[in-house]
Amino acid sequence: MDAHPVQLVVEDDLARSRLTVFLRLLLAIPHLIWLFLWTLLTILLAVVTWAATLVRGRPPAGLHRFMCSYVRYQVHLSSYLALAANPYPPFNGEEGTYTIDVRLPEPAAQARWKTLVRIFLALPALLLSSAFGGSGGVRFLYGSHRSSSLGGGGALVGACAILGWFASLVRGRMPKGLRDAGAYGIGYSAQVAAYLLFVTDRYPNADPTAMLAGVERPPEHVVRLVGDAHDLHRSRVTVFFRILLALPHIIWLTLWGVAAVFAAIANWFVTLVRGTPAASLHRFLSGFVRYRLHVYAFASLAANPFPAFGGRAGTYPLDLELPAPARQNRWKTGFRIVLVLPAAIVNGALGWGLVVAGFLTWFAALARGSAPWGLRNLMAYALRYDAQVNAYGLLLTDVYPHASPLEGAAEQLAAFDEP
Amino acid sequence: MTARAAGRLALLVVLAAVWSAAAYFLWGSQVPSSLRLPHVDVRQLFPAAQLRAASSFGRFTTLDWALAELTQLVVFSLYAWRGGRFARESAAGPIGTGMLLGMIGFALVWISQLPFGVLSLWWERRHHLTRVGYLASAFGNWLALGSQFVLLCLALLIVMGFARLVGGWWWLPAAPVFVGLVALSAFVTPYLLTTHPLHDARLVAQARVLEKTEHVQHTPIVVEPVHDVTALPNAEATGLGPSRRVVLWDTLLDGRFTEPELRVVVAHELGHLERRHLWKDIGWYALLAFPGAFVVARLTRRRGGMGRPEAVPLALLAIVVLDLLALPLQNAISRHMEAEADWEALQATRDPAAATALFERFVPTTLDEPNPSTWEYLLLENHPTIEQRIAMAEAWSRYATSAAQSP
Repeated sequence: MDAHPVQLVVEDDLARSRLTVFLRLLLAIPHLIWLFLWTLLTILLAVVTWAATLVRGRPPAGLHRFMCSYVRYQVHLSSYLALAANPYPPFNGEEGTYTIDVRLPEPAAQARWKTLVRIFLALPALLLSSAFGGSGGVRFLYGSHRSSSLGGGGALVGACAILGWFASLVRGRMPKGLRDAGAYGIGYSAQVAAYLLFVTDRYPNADPTAMLAGVERPPEHVVRLVGDAHDLHRSRVTVFFRILLALPHIIWLTLWGVAAVFAAIANWFVTLVRGTPAASLHRFLSGFVRYRLHVYAFASLAANPFPAFGGRAGTYPLDLELPAPARQNRWKTGFRIVLVLPAAIVNGALGWGLVVAGFLTWFAALARGSAPWGLRNLMAYALRYDAQVNAYGLLLTDVYPHASPLEGAAEQLAAFDEP
Repeated sequence: MTARAAGRLALLVVLAAVWSAAAYFLWGSQVPSSLRLPHVDVRQLFPAAQLRAASSFGRFTTLDWALAELTQLVVFSLYAWRGGRFARESAAGPIGTGMLLGMIGFALVWISQLPFGVLSLWWERRHHLTRVGYLASAFGNWLALGSQFVLLCLALLIVMGFARLVGGWWWLPAAPVFVGLVALSAFVTPYLLTTHPLHDARLVAQARVLEKTEHVQHTPIVVEPVHDVTALPNAEATGLGPSRRVVLWDTLLDGRFTEPELRVVVAHELGHLERRHLWKDIGWYALLAFPGAFVVARLTRRRGGMGRPEAVPLALLAIVVLDLLALPLQNAISRHMEAEADWEALQATRDPAAATALFERFVPTTLDEPNPSTWEYLLLENHPTIEQRIAMAEAWSRYATSAAQSP
């Protein structure tokens, strides 16, 4: 498959100025006013562009340039606000002027039927963008005080921004995982906006690996996904009844979860005293975390087969590699419940995205008998992070979850490459 | 005949004798065996228009039911033939895969039954018997399917678990477990109903008297609000031991029924409790569960037995066919107990006129046919027909009169 014509370019070095981070929202006020005015004009011109593209089969060059600048400016400003970038952004949305940028295509012929019904075709992408995306995209004002962004305002970017604000103030650096996650959301929103504003007729691609293709991968995490990522086949019958079919698993998972809480408390005491988790508790909790992944993958359509009830390794196409019991830092163990909170916040945002992605996959899989590659990889990202958070929270490891949408290990890259 | 065959035959005879003895015990009734129901001419009791309306309603409902059953059989047959291929959609091991196959079978049948459900709903709405909307019905059915899935998985877990432990003898330990689960369900069900106490002080007082007469004192009489979904009047005796109670639908209390008629209803339900019909229900279930499970075990042997998931689609078909075959017997048992409850109600209220008026009122309010055809009677009627119930009231009058006159 060709690369998406809307390409995110990340040249950010993660360094942050504490002063501008602290004052970020206030400093952005002029930009927000400018964005408001620019958005009003963009909405008007989008209608003109729509009509022109419908008639001519391609957008007029001048309007295309205008829309490109607007999309790019959204990316710059969103990156600044979400702390995915550090410098104060320019006001003109010019290419190559900012550390998080977007490469947009030249005006090209667009299918007229896609142009005609663009607003409807964009709805699934807008839905996903609202869950994962950044604040990029077209903002509409309604009512007197409330605003909504067609391009996002997503939970993931918001969560990353808030957590990144604290981290950047303390360390003077943005954590790479949060930066990558934020950049991904912003990039996806830029693709949605470009699609909606007739910059391209190529549908947004939710695949995090493709979106962050030029970004350096994070270090390998001890908790990682394994399995056959290319198995996109989905049985239509089991897709149609997926949630109901998952009910026995959900009940079993809930019961297991109750036991896991008690096991985790016991494991906390053991790990605090011995410095290493008890092998039996570690095994029990590993089974729970793996089983949770299997069930969530099945329910969200990230994987196809009906999972086993035991949470054993190697029994499911989307599986989890978990570490053996190892020595853990006692400080990290003692304060684990507090330390896990930021990751849990990001996980909550990703969880909402997982629900939306699963919902969209349901329609696609029912129609085509297979899961869309982009959505599948997006769900794999959400599931992997969920497993890392659980493994950390349940004391299977003291390695902090990595929020980056990119897999860390070189040997796992193949599992997420384009088929 | 070999000794082994003779031994098997002897065992079969012993089991049949035990079964028959248990069935005889459960069949016992307070209705005098000498009682003969007099002939009742329903054409004289009901206006012709009412009979036509009930007949027309019943014809459509029966046809819808028959087609739905036929479709279900066809779908389960096809599924028994080709359903095993869905095993490749599972990574869950034998029991988990069996659960998946079971759920998919139910799901396919659910889809096949949707049109008949919609038709039935349309028909009932047309006759103002239900207030459920189409969307609410479909959504409710969807949720009900979810709970069916959970119960089915539990059942398959029990069956397949035992089958993997003890092979073809799984039915021996599994049947008592199912009987236990049915008893547990009967005990718990009353606690899951949304009800409120009966507020009608006069009816409450009369219920207390009836409880004493029927030796079931301190039985709560509660009201279940159902008027939002149906206009049909109904009541039930439910629960075991401390959970037992009489539940009246609030549609019974909307003014269509007189106080003496409601008294008969309460007496009838208390009659069920007095005669321990819920326990007898469980007993009958046990009597049918053992041979039923045995037949399923035999039928699925060719697919490797119930320990293998491939056998599940065939087992589903077998259960549905057995259930259909047992339907006349189940209905006969149910009618027998309902007749006994009617008799108890007549004994307790000594008001055959009120009972007759109540049964007569069922025709316009429920569109029940007073005298359905024989095969409808055998396959669909789990209560005595209205004609039989009115005849029972008349027979009781004669019986009571003759008993009073006898020295």
